[in-house]
Amino acid sequence: MTTNTSTKGPGRRALMKTSMGAGVALAAGSWTRPVRAQGKPTKLVYVGDNGPWHQCLVQEVAPAFEKEHGIKIDFTLLPIDALVARLKAELSSGAGAIDIVQWDASMAGWVSRHMQDHAKLLEQAASRHPDFDWADFLPRVQGMATYDGKLSGIPYRVTTGVLFYQQKLLEQAGFDKPPSNFAELLAAAQATTKQGLPHRYGFGVMGRQGPAMLGSFTPFLRSAGGHYYDPKTGEIFVNQPPAVEALQFYGDMMTKYKVMNPDSLTWEFDGIIAGGQNDQFAMTVTLAPYGEGMSDPKLSKTAGNWGWSLMPGKDSIKQTATYMAGWMLGVPEGAKHTDWSFEFIQMATSKKWLRRAIDLADAPPRVSVLEDPAVLAKHPWAPVLGESLKTAVLDHQDPVWSTAQLPLRTAISQVLLGQKTAKQAMDGCAVQWERSFRLAGMKG
Amino acid sequence: MALQRIGTRRSRIAFAAGAYTALVALLVLFIFPLLWIIGLSFKTRVQTFASPPLFIWTPTLENYIKVLGTGDFQQAFINSLLISVEAVLLSICVGVPAAYAFARFRFAGRNWLFFTLLVMRMLPPIAVLVPMYVLFSKLGLTETRISVVLAYTTFSLPLVVWIMRGFFEELPRELEESAWVDGASRFAAFRAVVLPLVQPGLVAATILCLLLAWNDFIFAAVLTNDATRTLPVLMASYSGDVGVDWGSMTASGVLVVLPVILFSFVAQRHLVAGLSSGAVKG
Amino acid sequence: MGETSSVIRETEVPAQPHQPDAGMGWRWLDRQFARIAVLPTALTMLAIFGIPLAFSLYLSIEGWSADETLFGGKFAGIANYLVLLTDPDFVASLLLTLGYTVATVAAELALGLGVALLLDLDLPLIGFFRTTLIVPMMMTPIVAALCWKLLLDPDHGIIDYFLGRPIIWLGQPWLALISVGIASVWQNAPFVTILSLAGLRSLPHEPLEAASIDGASRLQSFWHVTLPLLRPYLLVALLLRTIFEFRAFDNVYVMTGGGPANATLLLSVYTYQASFVQFDLSLGAAASWMMLLIALVVCLAFVAVIRKGGTQ
Repeated sequence: MTTNTSTKGPGRRALMKTSMGAGVALAAGSWTRPVRAQGKPTKLVYVGDNGPWHQCLVQEVAPAFEKEHGIKIDFTLLPIDALVARLKAELSSGAGAIDIVQWDASMAGWVSRHMQDHAKLLEQAASRHPDFDWADFLPRVQGMATYDGKLSGIPYRVTTGVLFYQQKLLEQAGFDKPPSNFAELLAAAQATTKQGLPHRYGFGVMGRQGPAMLGSFTPFLRSAGGHYYDPKTGEIFVNQPPAVEALQFYGDMMTKYKVMNPDSLTWEFDGIIAGGQNDQFAMTVTLAPYGEGMSDPKLSKTAGNWGWSLMPGKDSIKQTATYMAGWMLGVPEGAKHTDWSFEFIQMATSKKWLRRAIDLADAPPRVSVLEDPAVLAKHPWAPVLGESLKTAVLDHQDPVWSTAQLPLRTAISQVLLGQKTAKQAMDGCAVQWERSFRLAGMKG
Repeated sequence: MALQRIGTRRSRIAFAAGAYTALVALLVLFIFPLLWIIGLSFKTRVQTFASPPLFIWTPTLENYIKVLGTGDFQQAFINSLLISVEAVLLSICVGVPAAYAFARFRFAGRNWLFFTLLVMRMLPPIAVLVPMYVLFSKLGLTETRISVVLAYTTFSLPLVVWIMRGFFEELPRELEESAWVDGASRFAAFRAVVLPLVQPGLVAATILCLLLAWNDFIFAAVLTNDATRTLPVLMASYSGDVGVDWGSMTASGVLVVLPVILFSFVAQRHLVAGLSSGAVKG
Repeated sequence: MGETSSVIRETEVPAQPHQPDAGMGWRWLDRQFARIAVLPTALTMLAIFGIPLAFSLYLSIEGWSADETLFGGKFAGIANYLVLLTDPDFVASLLLTLGYTVATVAAELALGLGVALLLDLDLPLIGFFRTTLIVPMMMTPIVAALCWKLLLDPDHGIIDYFLGRPIIWLGQPWLALISVGIASVWQNAPFVTILSLAGLRSLPHEPLEAASIDGASRLQSFWHVTLPLLRPYLLVALLLRTIFEFRAFDNVYVMTGGGPANATLLLSVYTYQASFVQFDLSLGAAASWMMLLIALVVCLAFVAVIRKGGTQ
């Protein structure tokens, strides 16, 4: 591939298309070749985020891979925004510099077209790894890694929102079971909100206007039977009664009943964990794997107090629903060492290594791991994760979702601050969405 | 400006006392947050989140040991050092002559060019982030430090030119002209007469360029990889999904700011060198 | 003194430097001096910055979406710009940013100049103060912003501890804006201090001595002599701070992320969201260019006002 930096315009465009075409051809041609025949690289470049669940990958899987095959894994782990910038730049330029991409479910709409067809990669590697057992991955999770009919990666981590509660506090307040609907939730929150210092409130949320916000609100929306919008038709549901009621209840907990921590407004992922560790709330709804952090006796005042259960439904537990998100490992189009990259991915997502990963802060999407009694004993939140996946609704993956989130976050923030009612806020959000959908060319 | 012989001795002492009071008050205001941050680097996580906050505690070195223990920090430190020094040297060596030219000469397109430099600086850097990445990628420079050095130089150059032009313009021409009359070439006059007099400006510009290169995050994050990454990128990794690792973050923050403070302490003497005796200006 | 320097600046032909007897080469070199001196700067900026700049301008007039390669979009003209101007969030953000910039730059100038005046005094131990009072600027902005976030935390932060009341700084709209402003001023006043101090150190002595001989008080000599002489340096500081503060990003993003309820949604955050959250690089590019245009207008206005004041 020659580089021609002096021309702009049509010359460059053609060059870009040719190089991408070459990449595709290379990838296509490598299907049928066995691994050993491809020229062996000295290292593979892995680009992902810097969440704390990478310990297994970086400190155990990669060295094991290096020992077996002599290939080093070069990890570049960035905060999510920098990761997005990097991937955007890298994948759009088609330079083929990344060997393994770690992408998040909500990026699927954009990232998927740059990824290879992993169903074909699995097929091709079947003889080498007969016990990989793709069926062991939860069907919902397989769906998460698929976009527009193409399997674009292998899932490595799956997260849903579940209810966390301090068992003793609830018992003391007269609740021997976790709340199963919104009314019970409110009652329990009121009973466990402590007056006077040090503060403890009944319910903590991630209320900062940012990427974490929906992690606390979406379970309420889903459990009330609400939806955001239909990506295919552009029909907007966010200002319909179920969604509005969910948001009104959510906001009332903060403004009317005052059972939510006021400083929730500044909390994102780290804030909710710190809040749990510091005994600032009795209950919360957040990502299941955060149970590890809150139960760590070295860091948490509340270690050993937590129980987990499904998100309460609006009227009954049968209505419970929450969101589903996660991270996938994938080989991009135009990657130079597809076979070796996929070899690493299969190793990392094998039964053996995913079982090890859950000990190191990951939330692996394999049934065999989540239902292993040894695992359940050590990680009591795991069965709830598995259970919640049955009714979890996958977060939007279409490209418009990232635009849609912004006015939505504003609306939730306005309600939590008491600036608007849920109806007013959601109507405002809907107006913005109509505009955005129109600009994006969506019908409806 | 030396202490002026204004007013009586008593009023001068009162003035000095007032000045010291103000300085100490400012110090407290500015430095107390800093001291707190330094204190955090000697606390464990549990101590950090103690409520009410701890003012007296048993300090621990565990954060520093953790941060320095991994080879990552040393590697990132070397990268940061090399990149910053190279960027600063490049900016100063290229920018100062240009600033001098802008100040002393009238040539075609002077104002237009100067204006363009300024305008370029007004664009938010993230607008050029992705295009710059694509450019370096095409040039094959993404795995080197050079790409980052060049990027930082383009940020610093307009700064250097702007600041130094101001200083050069304020210097009366007679000084150089008398040197020329005495038989010096332009270059010799520049080195012997002009440069020493704009020392404060040079130091100010150097410090600002250094800070720009030393502390930048977003460009380093996108343009470097594991081998060439700088300290800010490394520090960002301490803030993750499950919370900020305050111990590592503050410990590394302190370690990262120390070289710059050291440099400033040395430099500030040159910053204020200026005109100690009034005779030079005649 | 200011008058005299400007007269000198207008001189058409400078005295000629002495040519060493090295011959034609040196003479030609010296005549070309200006061009040679400026060339590296122009080339570097053009090559490394200019190309991405042009690309970014191109992106802003392209109707690009995530499914295309970077050059594959259709020409959209000013469509992106219109989208911005009709977005109520953009307009609100613009107004907010203008107000925020004016307030913080004014505070930085006042505080920075005040500190510089103090540091200019040749009191004993002043070296210690000179080093420590500019340290806030030295800290990596992201680290400083994160630490301010912790300082302002209602439960674990010392500020609320001293105040005795759990004020949720980053959770209330106006307080969040003020908090971000305070952190910015804390970090950036030293920038003004450094420039002002360098300027103060370069001032000639005679005017001040003349003023004191004439019996002027400290305040009078400051107002009528020092300040006008400092004008060019302050102008540089003012313009640079305005440019930087207008697009301030790190502090806001780390401390509040643009919230609560868009109370701190400065233009830089808006642009960032457009580019990297919405994945719309062409909209982000258009927003960036809008920011450039606005910054340009503001700076030109400043310069015009200051120029007018200077020729009186």
